[in-house]
Amino acid sequence: MSLRSNDRQWGSVAKFFHWTTALLILGNGVFGLAMDLASSPMQKINWLALHKSIGLTVLALFLLRLLWRMGDRRPAEDPAPRWQQLAAHAVHGLLYLFIVALPLSGWWFNSVAGKPLQFFKLFNLPAIAAANPDMRHLAHGIHEKLFWILVAVLVLHVGGALKHHLFDRDNTLRRMLPFSRVRADATSQGDRT
Amino acid sequence: MKNLAPALFKPRLIAPLLLALALPGLASAADYTVQPAGSKLGFTSSFQGQAFDGSFGKWTAAISYDAAKLASSKFDVEVDLSSAKTGDNDRDSALPGADFFNVAKFPKAHFVTTGFRQNGAQVVADGNLTLRGVTKPVSLNVSFKPQGTGATLDVTGSVKRLDFGVGGGEYADTSVIGAEVKVNAHLVLSAK
Repeated sequence: MSLRSNDRQWGSVAKFFHWTTALLILGNGVFGLAMDLASSPMQKINWLALHKSIGLTVLALFLLRLLWRMGDRRPAEDPAPRWQQLAAHAVHGLLYLFIVALPLSGWWFNSVAGKPLQFFKLFNLPAIAAANPDMRHLAHGIHEKLFWILVAVLVLHVGGALKHHLFDRDNTLRRMLPFSRVRADATSQGDRT
Repeated sequence: MKNLAPALFKPRLIAPLLLALALPGLASAADYTVQPAGSKLGFTSSFQGQAFDGSFGKWTAAISYDAAKLASSKFDVEVDLSSAKTGDNDRDSALPGADFFNVAKFPKAHFVTTGFRQNGAQVVADGNLTLRGVTKPVSLNVSFKPQGTGATLDVTGSVKRLDFGVGGGEYADTSVIGAEVKVNAHLVLSAK
């Protein structure tokens, strides 16, 4: 498996970005929702600090991913009806949007709450909005709701991938799976529209 | 007349005379009253890598000071710990609690000088700080500027919070809450 993508499958770098982002965003989302389970204020402080650091990692990975994608190839799309291809692109676009919006809304929430933002205790990042305690509740709500919207979009994304894998039996999922080999016979069936 | 001079130097007369001469020098560092307007008792520490400033709203200070009579100068400061404000509601509600100042048990901090010394051009006030039931020596840099009949007094110093058990237990993690608390005060003084 090469680092770069080719006509038939995604390269290991694209796979790394895809699956790392998926794991971090879902894990950090559940972690974020579980904050109130902290057994002490200090534990919550530390959990929140970790949650913020992971969120910043998602944001950084997304920027690196965009840069990589600009110079990388893309596998040819597996045959599917035109509307399905358009829907898949729309879902990808929305996912990208929410992958950025989720950490940014957290950063904004942190800023209006007037809290420090430290990346794994290594360095601090500035606030992106003025501290405003009145906005804190609203910002928290938006940050949390964005996660649920992302989950809804993710259901479409995963549903589409599984549909291709289980019903169309093509390479759409396989070419993104780590350590997976694409089916040799599933590449040139032509457009099924 | 000719017997007077020797009489003055009789020991029983010399002692009170010397005392009378020395007393003003020992005891007469000027007393000042703090003008609340313009005076501030502040501190700086850090949380998650970011410095924050705080101040105490309620405190009293008895200041006796004369740069030429350091031996008789004295600072005596009492701080109402429940009056600490740092510009963050979460922090300000935690500070009076048992884990930090524990104001229910130790409502006040007390600093009293034990002596002053000259360190190069800098005057240093050595004293004892009692905070949260612990008394430890603390030294402050003193900058005293007479102004008219009054003066301004600026002091700076540094305290290690864990020496006094402020933020112990889980909060002892100095990678989250800074170990050092810088103390700074600006006092506007008027002669008593």
